[in-house]
Amino acid sequence: MSLFQSLRGLFRSSQQQCIRSISTTPVPLKGAGGGGPKKPSSGNKPGGGFGASGKSVRRSQRGNDQPRDPKMINLMRHLAVLNPKRIPAPLRMARNRYLRHWTIHRAWLLFRRKQREERERVWMKQYQSMNRACEELRLTSGPDTRPEGYLFRVAMEKWGVYGLKGVPIEYARPQVETPPRVAWSHDWKP
Amino acid sequence: MMSAPGRRGSALLLRSSSRRAVVCLQCASIPTQFYSAEAAATQPTITSTTTTPPPPLPTKEKTLPKPNPYLIKSGVILSRPPILTRLPTPFEASFYLYQKRLNERLSAPFRKDFYFKQDTALDLDWRIKLKERHGVPAKDIGRYNPRGRMAWNDEVLVGSTTSDPQHIVETLLKDAEVRVSEDGEEIAPEERIPVERPMPRTTEADEKNDVRRLDRRLDETLYLVVKRGEENEWGFPEGQVPTQEALHETAQRILTESAGPNMNTWIVGRVPVAHRVSQPDFEEDGKTIKQRGEKVFYLKGRIMAGQADLTDNKHGLTDFKWLTKNELKETLSKDMWDAVKNMLDLR
Repeated sequence: MSLFQSLRGLFRSSQQQCIRSISTTPVPLKGAGGGGPKKPSSGNKPGGGFGASGKSVRRSQRGNDQPRDPKMINLMRHLAVLNPKRIPAPLRMARNRYLRHWTIHRAWLLFRRKQREERERVWMKQYQSMNRACEELRLTSGPDTRPEGYLFRVAMEKWGVYGLKGVPIEYARPQVETPPRVAWSHDWKP
Repeated sequence: MMSAPGRRGSALLLRSSSRRAVVCLQCASIPTQFYSAEAAATQPTITSTTTTPPPPLPTKEKTLPKPNPYLIKSGVILSRPPILTRLPTPFEASFYLYQKRLNERLSAPFRKDFYFKQDTALDLDWRIKLKERHGVPAKDIGRYNPRGRMAWNDEVLVGSTTSDPQHIVETLLKDAEVRVSEDGEEIAPEERIPVERPMPRTTEADEKNDVRRLDRRLDETLYLVVKRGEENEWGFPEGQVPTQEALHETAQRILTESAGPNMNTWIVGRVPVAHRVSQPDFEEDGKTIKQRGEKVFYLKGRIMAGQADLTDNKHGLTDFKWLTKNELKETLSKDMWDAVKNMLDLR
């Protein structure tokens, strides 16, 4: 509960900002300096997490003798760790290390490319197989007295193929790394 | 099933079907024939024999249909999609480990206090496990500290099993054991409750090589093949298309008739994915048919649950198997394999 109260303090400060937004001067400058040269506030350290404005407002509301909520301290410490200033710098590698990295990267790209091309080859084969079957069907007359291309025309119709009932819901089953306890229900009954 | 064309369209269709092959309804209703008719009227010498349409018939002309030299059949290639992902190759596995370690070097440090309340059982549990991991918060990157003096040493040596998927699974399982009781007492090793293990990727059917089970080869597609009584050759369920049915309806019916109703199947689309043609046999005169040829159009089917059951089937089937792509190649005859090999999946 106390966490919410302290957070509410934050929100109130932002509300005030919204109200005074007609003025171009930012709120913390107004409150702290009153137009004069501003003293560097202690809240600007990287560990502070929040800007100076929230701190000054909260301090005035809380009073100096009241201890800060430990949850709030924890949260602020956490945010301080996630501060962009504390995120590690980009990797720097020496020449041989960088060459190894480059080789690994190229090998990975090559691997992905081979996989992709293999997949695309299979798709192309499947498409060609369908295409040839449809062409054969188009030039087929029958069954019995049906004219040439009848079965092809029927096969091309899309009624009921799309829509909610088009694909059964059981088909939307993703592949996983390990099988379920019962890998397949052999005793399924309609 | 056919969309009803207008009176004029049907007349056109009828007229042109008696004359030559109708390719599709749209082509039949396009008035290009009238243009060609006009062109033929102006230039009668060039193509008059082929393009001039006959005058509109006042009455229906009944032409005797020639016997179709081909028997039209519809078949199903019923497949069980893979249930498991494929295993990563050694290169993939080691690349993932490499990337995880690089990520550790680049991300913010783990803050235990944010996730565990001080001196609770969970906190004690975490501390014990962290100590066993030599202070590395990540569970699956082996012994590597991205923030210490040896942060540069992020590559594993040749022969290391750190990136092996099986090793990672074992590590995670061991790590998931509860080490501290609710009172904050450390649990003795013999009293720890082991975590429920995931099922192995190979099943009992794999060990016995039971080709009639569907829980074999879980990371590959399985295809249903059946054996007809006398032929002793393996093939797919197929049957003749009657006049009233379309291909996909026949396929569904044939599947139920041959492999029983206890399968949850779905015919994917209405378009054939493969076909097989066997030529008809003619007499010496080249016109009389000795034996009709066959055109078999295969549709793609998927099975979601259930099992094939050949008892009382109407197509004289004696046996069935669920085979992978490689096994299909060994089992099917050459022309059958050539007909279907292009529609098979990658794995």
